[in-house]
Amino acid sequence: MVGGFSILLWIGAAFSWISFGIQFAQGAESPFDNLYLGVVLALVVILTGIFAYYQEAKSTNIMASFSKMIPQQALVIRDAEKKELPADQLVVGDIVEIKGGDRIPADIRLIFTQGCKVDNSSLTGESEPQSRSCDFTHENPLETRNIAFYSTTCVEGTATGIVINTGDRTIIGRIASLASGVGNGKTPIAIEIEHFVYLVAGVAISIGVLFFIISVSMRYKILDSIIFLIGIIVANVPEGLLATVTVSLSLTAKRMAKKNCLVKNLEAVETLGSTSIICSDKTGTLTQNRMTVAHLWFDDQIYSADTSEDQTTQPFDQSSQTWTALSKIVTLCNRAEFRPGQENLPVMKRVVVGDASETALLKFAEVVLGDVMDIRARNKKVAEIPFNSTNKFQLSIHETDDRNDKRFLLVMKGAPERILERCSTIMINGKEEPLDSEKAEAFQTAYMELGGMGERVLGFCHLYLPENEFPDTYPFDTDSMNFPTSNLCFVGLLSMIDPPRSTVPDAVSKCRSAGIKVIMVTGDHPITAKAIAKSVGIISATSETVEDMAKRLNVPVERVDRRQATAAVVNGMELKDMSLQQLDEVLCNHSEIVFARTSPQQKLIIVEGCQRQGAVVAVTGDGVNDSPALKKADIGIAMGIAGSDAAKNAADMVLLDDNFASIVTGVEEGRLIFDNLKKTIAYTLTKNIAELCPFLIYIIASIPMPIGTITILFIDLGTDIIPSVALAYEKAESDIMNRRPRNKSKDRLVNEQLAVYSYLHIGIMQSVGAFVTYFTVYAEQGFLPTTLLGVRVNWESNAINDFEDSYGQEWTKYQRTYLQWTGYTAFFVSITIQQVADLIIRKTRRNSIFQQGLFRNKVIWVGIFSQIGIALILTYGLGHVTALNFTPLRFQYWFVAVPFAILIWVYDEVRKLFIRRYPGSWWDKNMYY
Amino acid sequence: MGSKTWRELAGDLKLFLWNREERTCMGRTATSWGLILLFYFVFYTCLAGMFAFCMYVMLLTLSPYTPTYRDRVSPPGVMIRPYLHGFTIAFNVSKRSTWQPYVDSMHRFLAAYDDKVQEEKNIECVAGRYFVQGGHEGEEKKACRFKRSLLQSCSGLGDPTFGYSRGQPCVLLKMNRIIGYRPGAGVPVSVDCKVQKGNESDLRSVDFYPGNGTFDLMYYPYYGKITHVNYTSPLVAMHFTDVKRNNLVPIQCSLKGEGIINDVNNDRFLGRILFTLSIGK
Repeated sequence: MVGGFSILLWIGAAFSWISFGIQFAQGAESPFDNLYLGVVLALVVILTGIFAYYQEAKSTNIMASFSKMIPQQALVIRDAEKKELPADQLVVGDIVEIKGGDRIPADIRLIFTQGCKVDNSSLTGESEPQSRSCDFTHENPLETRNIAFYSTTCVEGTATGIVINTGDRTIIGRIASLASGVGNGKTPIAIEIEHFVYLVAGVAISIGVLFFIISVSMRYKILDSIIFLIGIIVANVPEGLLATVTVSLSLTAKRMAKKNCLVKNLEAVETLGSTSIICSDKTGTLTQNRMTVAHLWFDDQIYSADTSEDQTTQPFDQSSQTWTALSKIVTLCNRAEFRPGQENLPVMKRVVVGDASETALLKFAEVVLGDVMDIRARNKKVAEIPFNSTNKFQLSIHETDDRNDKRFLLVMKGAPERILERCSTIMINGKEEPLDSEKAEAFQTAYMELGGMGERVLGFCHLYLPENEFPDTYPFDTDSMNFPTSNLCFVGLLSMIDPPRSTVPDAVSKCRSAGIKVIMVTGDHPITAKAIAKSVGIISATSETVEDMAKRLNVPVERVDRRQATAAVVNGMELKDMSLQQLDEVLCNHSEIVFARTSPQQKLIIVEGCQRQGAVVAVTGDGVNDSPALKKADIGIAMGIAGSDAAKNAADMVLLDDNFASIVTGVEEGRLIFDNLKKTIAYTLTKNIAELCPFLIYIIASIPMPIGTITILFIDLGTDIIPSVALAYEKAESDIMNRRPRNKSKDRLVNEQLAVYSYLHIGIMQSVGAFVTYFTVYAEQGFLPTTLLGVRVNWESNAINDFEDSYGQEWTKYQRTYLQWTGYTAFFVSITIQQVADLIIRKTRRNSIFQQGLFRNKVIWVGIFSQIGIALILTYGLGHVTALNFTPLRFQYWFVAVPFAILIWVYDEVRKLFIRRYPGSWWDKNMYY
Repeated sequence: MGSKTWRELAGDLKLFLWNREERTCMGRTATSWGLILLFYFVFYTCLAGMFAFCMYVMLLTLSPYTPTYRDRVSPPGVMIRPYLHGFTIAFNVSKRSTWQPYVDSMHRFLAAYDDKVQEEKNIECVAGRYFVQGGHEGEEKKACRFKRSLLQSCSGLGDPTFGYSRGQPCVLLKMNRIIGYRPGAGVPVSVDCKVQKGNESDLRSVDFYPGNGTFDLMYYPYYGKITHVNYTSPLVAMHFTDVKRNNLVPIQCSLKGEGIINDVNNDRFLGRILFTLSIGK
């Protein structure tokens, strides 16, 4: 309620009350006008203030805060007895006990553990539970195994530990304070609006002061001059505009929420539109966040599998006998199972109990073969060795479903090189062939190729156990391994990857054409990161990294010209050693960048680096550790599904479906609203001139006042509000995703062209049209234009009640005042009519109205009808309320300004035509806003 | 933005006003300025032309004799003479300088009603009915005589001080002119005065001239400034012969007649007039 326009309006209100006070003291006849005006102005300021606050409060519904993370109770051993204590009463040195399911109450060093695993995902983003022991394993507290962190959860097991940090001094507390300490600069739209307010306030004050001086030097009374000043201020300040902008932004925010972008801070809506760099996570944002079988290798050939989100069949060649054998292994050597009761769901959507790779294999088998559980039931399992990290394989022995075949089938999967070691034969086209060095070579090539694509590769082999050695009743013992585990038959390889979301490549190429740089920041291995980056187009097919060039040219990496490489994959370890200049160089020289093996802390460094380039940076994040980067970024985007509360808290926007493509639709909306706000402001500014001119001409030519201050407020806060909001619904004129992000320092929301065109072209036309109506009303009542010039003093004199008009008739003061109000109403109606034309021309800035379509934006018509409706109500409905200064107007006066409305429209069509015809010309430079 | 010093700002301003390198003044080169000024000259000339054309067309639709609408000016308002600054007539009988301005005002106002002037310019009409003049709208209309002498003791002929020197002031009342208006619908409009919100006995007697304070029908209707050149508004003189001295006496004089409205709150001069008499010794 202070700052900008509010100050101006407060000044206006203060002046009104001062002049009321003076007039009242002098005993003038009707001083209450000024009192009312002051009250109305104050009300306008207060109401728009309350409205803005309400909108802001509604959208800043801050979610969970850190205080919610405090566990209620902790089990402490003090004075040799166990006590339940609130966690905030813990002190360093306390010994606490933790069991599965507990939240860790502070940072603790473990002194005793039993099968303890903790979920650190809220801190580091790693989703796998980590085992904890008493051993010191790493110098970095985040890496060592004997420390458990505040706010993480203990998933299983029990542990005892000594408290080493509490409250804000814990790792997470430090991150939280770091997040709140990171400066959150003004949003681009806030800067733009500030710029606009300065501009308009500057115009208002300079015109106000100029005319104050003119009126004083024209020997007007100081009091009158002050009243003129109020009028000029009120005419110049677009009272309703800030509320309109807020509403437009919140409408867009709503629209974005429907597209899964939940905006917490209204202004962030536009920030997204001016984004020039997006730093995106990989897992879950660019990818589907689930392992999926991507490739198969059997019969010495690589087959690709469908990795899209909704696969129902697999198209590769399934006729080979080898595939039959392989599919059997995939199906049987797998401990993962579907949760029961999901038969009606598509395979890809079903919930699976099991780890990521087994889930991938299970779903793959289910899609290709059908009911896996049934196959497993028919091939009864008799023994099993689960996967462990020393063996690096998984093995199971089954009866076969072939009744005539009494042999057992041994199936095995595991790390490819380990599996190969155990094999002596290889299956080619269904036949076992000896595994010679040539075949082993082929295996190596395939393994390298799949591994090079960043995929996780598994080898599969089997062995039919001879019936005579292993009869039906043979007791398999997995501990003593009384069955062969070597000389098996190698069948094939399967490789898995977390595949990109199918919408992402499109979204990335959209970003590219929109001039937005997409940088991938991930904790993954560089090879995997690069593979995904390539498959979604973050690294385009033709570009090379320095390493690629070195390989192609067959020279050492150091001798390659770094500037020639468009792409770069930067390892977190390299990043650690880089100076700021080196980082800037990387960000500057390469258009396609992937940061791999980065820690969340390094994200902040990357964001700051991008901001040093003058970019508007959007960053995605989910972990607690990401929150400083989210806060630092111009727009922080938290993941709605995977994101921690802290990340959502620090972010400006929450991505409900975690999908990168949603960010791009958000960018589109953001750019659209920037364009539309331009139109809204142009629309709103135009009539300011039509409101201002009457005062200037009144002062200079001494004609009866053409429009009252209250009437102006009715335009600004009445008829114009809905139409200006309606412009927010306008569709884009051209593909806004085909142009570069706006340059923060050059592409202003309100530029010189916009102000000049609104003020000096359309605004002046509107004034002329309104004055024609004004003079018509007076002339038809007996006051010809020539009579009106210079009559102000006598006209406004309360004592002259036989004021002679052009025909010799005599008027009382009140009759004249009533006529003056009729003039106000006529002026008001003309501005309204011409604002309809203004609204229509503002639909487009470059295209013809006919290209845009008059009826595509229905809300515009709601705006037009509301505008005319409100004007009708004011003139005919409230025409008898004296304080409002409206009078019922003769019907024909509504049409006097119509020719000017048409002129405005034709003029603007011509302007747009020339802009389209002669791009870059003088006309284009001066007339395009 | 805020970090710039005044010196830098001044430098920026200077560069903005005249950039030597790019030869631009306020961001535009000479050709650019030329073009933009030419553009605005043409643009505003066209706009002015459009404005003038619209006004011309609008004025063509108007009749020079009668305004299109007369609904805002009727029913008529009322004014008094003498009129100096406001609606308080205050003087001391014994001090000539206090009432002489009122007398001068009356004489100035009544100059147009001199019998000689009236006889020369205007015609004698039939009293008691409207003086309707047919013929072409643009024909010059005749005006009826309203001789100063009709006002009798308030004519200033017998007593050139209009009674002011004796503490019995005359006040002239005139009804606002409205083209085509026929007041009273056949019955002459009359004038009546009383004390407004005060002691009724403060105003003991008023004489009205001519004929008991009526506006004769023959002076209506009025045909407008152009054709009814010599029209002089009929008057009613009110001779306040016995008003309480040394006192502020608020008086309301109102018109009475068919179609006259004299009770609108907002307009205290519609069909009535309020003024204050304050006569000292």
